[in-house]
Amino acid sequence: MCRILAYLGEPLLARRVLFDTDNSLVRQSYSPRMMNTFLNLAGFGMKAWDPTSLRPDEPFTYRAITLPTFDRNLRSMAAKIAPTCLVAHVRGVTYSGESVVAETNLHPFQFPGTRVTLMHNGHLRRFATMRYALVEHVDPALAQRIEGTTDSEWIYALILSQLADPYGVPETRELADATAAALRILRRVRADHGIDTSSPVNVCLSTGRALVATRFSFDYGWYPPEDEMLETDLPFVSLWYAIGGEYAEQDGGWGMTAGDPPRAVLIASEPLTTDSTSWLEVPEYSMLTAELGPDGLEFETRDLDA
Amino acid sequence: MPEADIAAFLATVPLLEGRDGPDLAELARVMRRRTVSAGDVLWHQGEEAREVLFVVEGALTATLQVPGERTVEIGRAGPGQIVGEIGLLDGRGHTMRVQAAEPTTLLALGRLDFEAMLRGRHPAAFALKRRLAALFATRLRVQLRHLAGTLGGDAAAAEAPALADLELCRPPDSRYMRRMATFHDFDPLALWGFLTSGTYVRCPPGRTLVAEGTPSPAYFLTVNGAVERVLVRGDRRIRVGLAGPGKAFGYEGLIDGLPSPLAAVARERSVLLVLQREHFDELFHREDAVARVFLEAIQRDLLASLRHTLRPAARLAASV
Repeated sequence: MCRILAYLGEPLLARRVLFDTDNSLVRQSYSPRMMNTFLNLAGFGMKAWDPTSLRPDEPFTYRAITLPTFDRNLRSMAAKIAPTCLVAHVRGVTYSGESVVAETNLHPFQFPGTRVTLMHNGHLRRFATMRYALVEHVDPALAQRIEGTTDSEWIYALILSQLADPYGVPETRELADATAAALRILRRVRADHGIDTSSPVNVCLSTGRALVATRFSFDYGWYPPEDEMLETDLPFVSLWYAIGGEYAEQDGGWGMTAGDPPRAVLIASEPLTTDSTSWLEVPEYSMLTAELGPDGLEFETRDLDA
Repeated sequence: MPEADIAAFLATVPLLEGRDGPDLAELARVMRRRTVSAGDVLWHQGEEAREVLFVVEGALTATLQVPGERTVEIGRAGPGQIVGEIGLLDGRGHTMRVQAAEPTTLLALGRLDFEAMLRGRHPAAFALKRRLAALFATRLRVQLRHLAGTLGGDAAAAEAPALADLELCRPPDSRYMRRMATFHDFDPLALWGFLTSGTYVRCPPGRTLVAEGTPSPAYFLTVNGAVERVLVRGDRRIRVGLAGPGKAFGYEGLIDGLPSPLAAVARERSVLLVLQREHFDELFHREDAVARVFLEAIQRDLLASLRHTLRPAARLAASV
């Protein structure tokens, strides 16, 4: 299991959300508040879009299997970049010799030449059983770009394959529809292979101008006997958001200021502060979309019945 | 305030009804009197809970702080009522900000003394657990009415769903149940006693198990799958919570005798433990190890429901 963080809005110093808050993303790698039995020690990845940078459509990318709290390069860079869109991920894997901790497995994923990124908090149980049945639903050119061993990278390729142009910048609505379509394909393939156990699929996609995030699970509440992930998966995998004017320090703590219309949104596996009064929980089985428009941030939640 | 006066006041508190004189006198000795002025904040939302407060005179308001620097008043507490027990019992901080609405006199009871009242197998501890369950059920109804008010209209007339056609199945492996956070600190034998008190059924997705406004047919505990707890008004609905493994639903009306305050519909195919009304009543009023597990499970579930119900309330308030 992992922890994710996404930001869209006014320029925000990356260090604020990665390091500074009392439940920052980096802190969630070794001390997640809402996941008592599991740590996220298998690496860190982020992508950050800064409209003032060279080639602003291309995100700054950083990935390392080093524990992020001890990563001085990351700490130094986070104090220098102030993106308008940031997606970041700390990876958690089961404590087993079978888990592959490698840079190719780090999120957010972005195939060369594509403009959409994806990060995932969850896991498809019995993925090895169904992996190759997904090939027929994935664009062959995209399938060739899968480098790692994760289910997440396959979900990414599957979603990209549902877009009219996997290499373009999709409209937010098209990206949301592609995500829902990919979940329906996954449900069918799981059924074809007799897979009927709980598989959380909290994904977050980004184009730098828009975010699409899901809080979703297949067959929630069903687990294989003697499941090592049971305690982690019994609660529905969490997702929260904070929306408003700007993420700022006030009264000695960090929080989202009021903003009408809103200009910024944070989406995260758990609130970035112990004081969660400026955060809202994303309902289970739902999808969030957020887009930076000329009149501010357009934000929507919808039920997800994939 | 002399201890005798405190004890006399405590004898009028509904939550403590039935406690004998010496018991109340002992309680009076550990309570601290406090007066506050109108507008004084007793605690903020999210703050660690250290004590419960009994209102002697005056009134308190409980306010939910929501994003956008907005606040929503959820409830008031007057003489004889108690505040602060939710955060104290579940250890997750206060659910709302509590403030004096007018000059108010309070009696404070610290965490250890409150917990001591609930410990043990003394009949008074069982009685207090039952009264707390009734208090939480009442609070849940207040929160749900507040939420339903945002939808407008009335719940559609419905008939209580029949359960007879649900397929019976075998009980789950007790090792699986013990790994659930709800149960893993319970005595295994007592837990087994509770888990074998009812019947187990399979339920298809989409099936309504409890209809709002009708008598609840049973206490349900989700073993596998998930059941949505919803308020529906015409084509508008609010999902108040999701009862996944280890979570219960449908029992509020069994505690207070009122119609069910919300509907319960299976979201996933599910396996449920079902305690019919008479079995619920029997277990709810017993005073043994099995009943203790049961009352503790109900208390945990009600506390979680009270917190979950505030989440859609916060979302709605933030979007105004």
